[in-house]
Amino acid sequence: MLAALAAAALLAGRVWSVGLIALLLMLVCLRGPRSRRRFYLIGTLFSAGALFVLTPFVETIGSHPVWAGPIVPVLGQLDVTHEELTSAALNALRLAAVGFAFAAYALLLDHDRLLRSVRFARTAALATRLLPRLERDAAGFVESLRGRGIAVTGVRGHAALLSPLLASSLERGLSLAEAMEARGYGRAGRTSVPRPPWRARDTAAVALAVSIVIAGALWL
Amino acid sequence: MRVERLTFTYPGGGSPALRDVSIEIGEGELIAVFGTSGSGKSTLVRALSGLVPHFHGGRFEGRVDIAGSDTRRVRPAELTGTVATVFQDPEEQIVLTHVAREVAFGLENLGTAPNEILPRAHHALATVGALHLVERPVSELSGGELQRVALASALALRPRLLLLDEPTSQLDPAAAESFLELVAELGIAIVIAEQRPRRVLERADRVLFLEDGRVLVDAAAAEAEKWLGRHRPAWLGLGEHHHVATPAERVCRLQNVGFSYRRGRPVVDGTSLELRRGEIVALAGPNGSGKTTVAKLAAGLLQPDVGIVELRGSAAMLLQDPGRYCLSERADEEVALGVQGDLGQARRALGAVGLAGVEARHPRDLSSGERERLALASVLVVGPDLLVLDEPTRGVDPMRKAELAALLRDEAEQRATLIVTHDEEFAAAVADRVIVMGKEVALV
Repeated sequence: MLAALAAAALLAGRVWSVGLIALLLMLVCLRGPRSRRRFYLIGTLFSAGALFVLTPFVETIGSHPVWAGPIVPVLGQLDVTHEELTSAALNALRLAAVGFAFAAYALLLDHDRLLRSVRFARTAALATRLLPRLERDAAGFVESLRGRGIAVTGVRGHAALLSPLLASSLERGLSLAEAMEARGYGRAGRTSVPRPPWRARDTAAVALAVSIVIAGALWL
Repeated sequence: MRVERLTFTYPGGGSPALRDVSIEIGEGELIAVFGTSGSGKSTLVRALSGLVPHFHGGRFEGRVDIAGSDTRRVRPAELTGTVATVFQDPEEQIVLTHVAREVAFGLENLGTAPNEILPRAHHALATVGALHLVERPVSELSGGELQRVALASALALRPRLLLLDEPTSQLDPAAAESFLELVAELGIAIVIAEQRPRRVLERADRVLFLEDGRVLVDAAAAEAEKWLGRHRPAWLGLGEHHHVATPAERVCRLQNVGFSYRRGRPVVDGTSLELRRGEIVALAGPNGSGKTTVAKLAAGLLQPDVGIVELRGSAAMLLQDPGRYCLSERADEEVALGVQGDLGQARRALGAVGLAGVEARHPRDLSSGERERLALASVLVVGPDLLVLDEPTRGVDPMRKAELAALLRDEAEQRATLIVTHDEEFAAAVADRVIVMGKEVALV
C-alpha cells in the first residue's frame, strides 16, 4: 500500500492530489516512535524544501514571471515564473511522498516478514534493519567526542561524521553477513515458519493498492 | 572433531593468526580457550565453524575435521546443525526484529519442517530461561537478554559442537554465572573463548592457552590452573588494592539526581555520589541498574531531570563501545582529537597504554583489545579532573588489565576516577571504594 501511494504520487500530475498523498503518508509516519520518526521527518522535509527552493532557478519554463533577478554566469538570468513554482511544488511534494512512504516502511512495518519474500526484498529488509543502528552509531560518535570535550556543531561538524559512519555500517554489515552464514543462510532447501493464511482483507488491500496506482496515473 | 596442524594467516596479515595448532574435541567435552588479546582465540573459534577460511579468506594450511566434514570443502552454512556459534557481541549477530523469529531463523535455513520450527524455537528459549521474551522485539532487550536469545538461537539447531566467543563479556557477575551454569549442563561439546577465566575454570574439562597463535598449554583444567599459577598468575587473579585514598578536594557531586530517557520510567532516582581528587571509585550493579547513566550524568553527557550535578574542572568519559573511537584515519590522529591535534601528546598517550608502534595504523585495523586501549588513550590524553570509564576491561586480557590497574593507580592523584564495571576482580584491584547501585561498600 505504501509503495502504491508513493507510485501514485510519482504518476499524479496535480499539486493538490500529490499534496494530499504526501500529507496522508506524513500522518501515517507520525504513528512511528517519537524518538525515531524525527530523523526521517526532518530528512524528508529538508530534502523536499531544498528541491522546492532550487527547482525554479534551474528550470526555464513558463511565461508568467513572478520575480526577475540578476544575470549569473553559466546559469543566465535568474527568474522565477508561476509555472516553475508549480513544477517545483509538484516535484517537492512527490519527493516528500516517497520519503514519507519509506519512513513509514522503516518505522512501522514488520521487516522480518519481507525476509521470507523475494531476494531483493530480503536485501531491502536487511538494509532497513541497519538504519536504526546507523542512527545509534551517529549518536555514539557525537557522544564519544563530547566525552573528550569536543563539541560537534554545524553542518561541517556533522558532515565529518559521514565517513566514519559509512565505515562502521560496512563493518557491521560484514559482521551480520558472517553471523548469517554461520547460521546457515544461503543453504539449499530453506523452509519458513508457516505464514498467516491469506485473508479477504489482504485481497482487498492488493486491489486497493492497484486502484490507487491506476487513479494516480489516470485521474489525479 | 579434530584440528590438525592448522596454520592460518588473514589476507594482508603479516604473521599467522594460528600456528601449527592441533587439538581434539571429544563429545560432551567443555574446553576453555584462554589467551592474550590477539592470541588467536577468535580465529580458532572461526576455524571450527568453517568461517575461516570461507568467509575471511586467507592462507589456510592443515585440516579441520568437524564430524567427518573437512571445513575446506564444506561451507559454514552446510555445517549449521552440527556446529553453532555465539559471537562476542550479541547485537552484531541478531538478524531479525522479534525474538521468536530470530530463534527460528537458523531452523528455517536448516530446512526444518515448517510446523516444527516454532515449537523448537520455544523449547530452546525455555532451555535458556527466556521463554517470557518470545513475543518481544529484540530492540527492547538488555545485553544479558540478547545473549540468552543468541544462545537459544544456537541451541535450537541442536548442534554437536557449540562455539562461544567471550559470551559473558557484557554480563553482570550474576548473569555470567547463570549463563555458564546453563552452558555447562548442556552435555554437548563446547569450546568457550574467555578473558575472565575464574568462572570458566570451575566448569571446564580442558583448557587451551594460546599465545601468538600457538597452543602453549592443552591440559586438564586442574593441571592448567597450576600452569597458569606458575607462568601466567594474572589469569588467576589481579590481587586486591589495599590503599585507601586520602580525601582531597571534591571534584564532582551528584545530589538526589533523577533521570529518565524519553519521559519513561526513571533509570536513576534519588542517587547521590561524591568523587574527590585522588580516589578511584568503582560503580557496580546488575545490567540495567543505571550505572552508565550515573556515569554520563557525572561526566556532563546527560543533564539530570531532578537534583544537582556539580563538577569542578573538566571531565572526560570513555564509552563502552571502542568502535566509537574510530573517527580518524590514523590511531595517533584519533587520540589527538582531544588535544587540538597535538600529535606528540597523542603518541605519548598511546605509549602509556602499550600501543607504541601503532600510531600510523587505521583504528579499524586494530584488534578488539587494541581498540579498547586506543579508546582509553583518547580520553586519558585530555588530562581531565574527572575521568569516567565505562567497562574499560571488556575484551581486555588479564595481563592488560593488570597494566591498566597499575596505570590508573599511578595517575590517581591527578584526578578523581569513576569506573563502571562488571569486573569484580578489576574493581578489587584498582578501586578505593566500590559503590553497588543502592549500597556502598568501602574496600580496605
